Amino acid sequence: MHVSVISAERAVFDGEAESVVAPAFDGLVGILPRHAPFMTLLGEGVVKISQAGGTLTRLSVMGGFLQVASNVVRIVARRAGPADS
Amino acid sequence: MAKPRELKRRIRSVQNTKKITKTMELVSTSKLKRAQDRVVGARPYAQALAEVIGQLYSPELAERFPLLRQPGKSARGAGVRRAALLLITSNRGLCGAFNANLIREARRRLEELEAQDAHTELHLVGKKGISYFKFTKRNVASQRVDIGDRPTLDHAAELAKPLMERFSNGDLDAVDVVFAKFNSAVSTPPTTLRVLPITPPAAKGGEGRRGAANYILKPSAEEILQQLLPLYVQNQFYRALVETAAAEHGARRTAMKNATDAGSDMLTILQRTFNRARQAQITQELAEIVGGAEALKG
Repeated sequence: MHVSVISAERAVFDGEAESVVAPAFDGLVGILPRHAPFMTLLGEGVVKISQAGGTLTRLSVMGGFLQVASNVVRIVARRAGPADS
Repeated sequence: MAKPRELKRRIRSVQNTKKITKTMELVSTSKLKRAQDRVVGARPYAQALAEVIGQLYSPELAERFPLLRQPGKSARGAGVRRAALLLITSNRGLCGAFNANLIREARRRLEELEAQDAHTELHLVGKKGISYFKFTKRNVASQRVDIGDRPTLDHAAELAKPLMERFSNGDLDAVDVVFAKFNSAVSTPPTTLRVLPITPPAAKGGEGRRGAANYILKPSAEEILQQLLPLYVQNQFYRALVETAAAEHGARRTAMKNATDAGSDMLTILQRTFNRARQAQITQELAEIVGGAEALKG
């Protein structure tokens, strides 16, 4: 499935992934391929994106929303950037 | 004919000015490049927000959100009674008619609002706008010069917050922003954008509410809109700031390029005049020497 993480200033991540874990407003949500259309508000925390081949990308996000539609995950965050440590 | 020494001095002065304008042109070009990247980078976010709001928006919901309140439906009858205008200008000059155009657009808009009997307050960003309205002795509600040519989201939030609050409370019926729209480096028309009340962005492909009905929404369409509408407003302020910054560099580059070209033209003419004057002087000196020698032979 295709995942993109967009912050107000730029697109932070854009690519294919096997799973996404994101901090929603009330707890973590995990998204796997072929998830039903879904929209939720984001809280604050770290988005983990697992790609084929075991690559794990960690991004810290704050505010905004997450949208899943026809195998495309879009994380639109007020702030997003690489998670440090 | 001017004296060669005088001409020499002017040639040097034009050459030095040309060096400065040439450098400013190069600096602006590289700053423009970076500013342009920021404009482009801000686009997907704005697009995504607009799309989702368009999908969630429905006229029934609109009644419940103060940010969507249309002036006609306010408690005090129809029309805009109190409006705010935010004008974004640059802090620095030497960019041609860039600031003058923005100020002209703002004045046009002010007149338009005042013709509708709206009490209009003016908010200013950038030294150029501030000094102009100080000169005309107009009351200014707020002003700031600290944003410069690298606006951040925090700047936009600071600008948007008080205006959004006052709009929600009903102290304002409309908020307009005058900024330079960045179509391309050479096309940056001054533009007025009504940020509040929010004009709901149309959903793509006319799917409207039906598109949203298929979603699992958490917590609810209302809650999500509640969160996203302020972000949308903030983002419009942010885009106005970023686009104006990029447009400023574009305008400065054009102005400096014109100045450099004009300098080159002047140099050509001055150099030619100088050469002619020098030649004339040599010819005259020769004539004098020959004349003197003739006289001595006498």
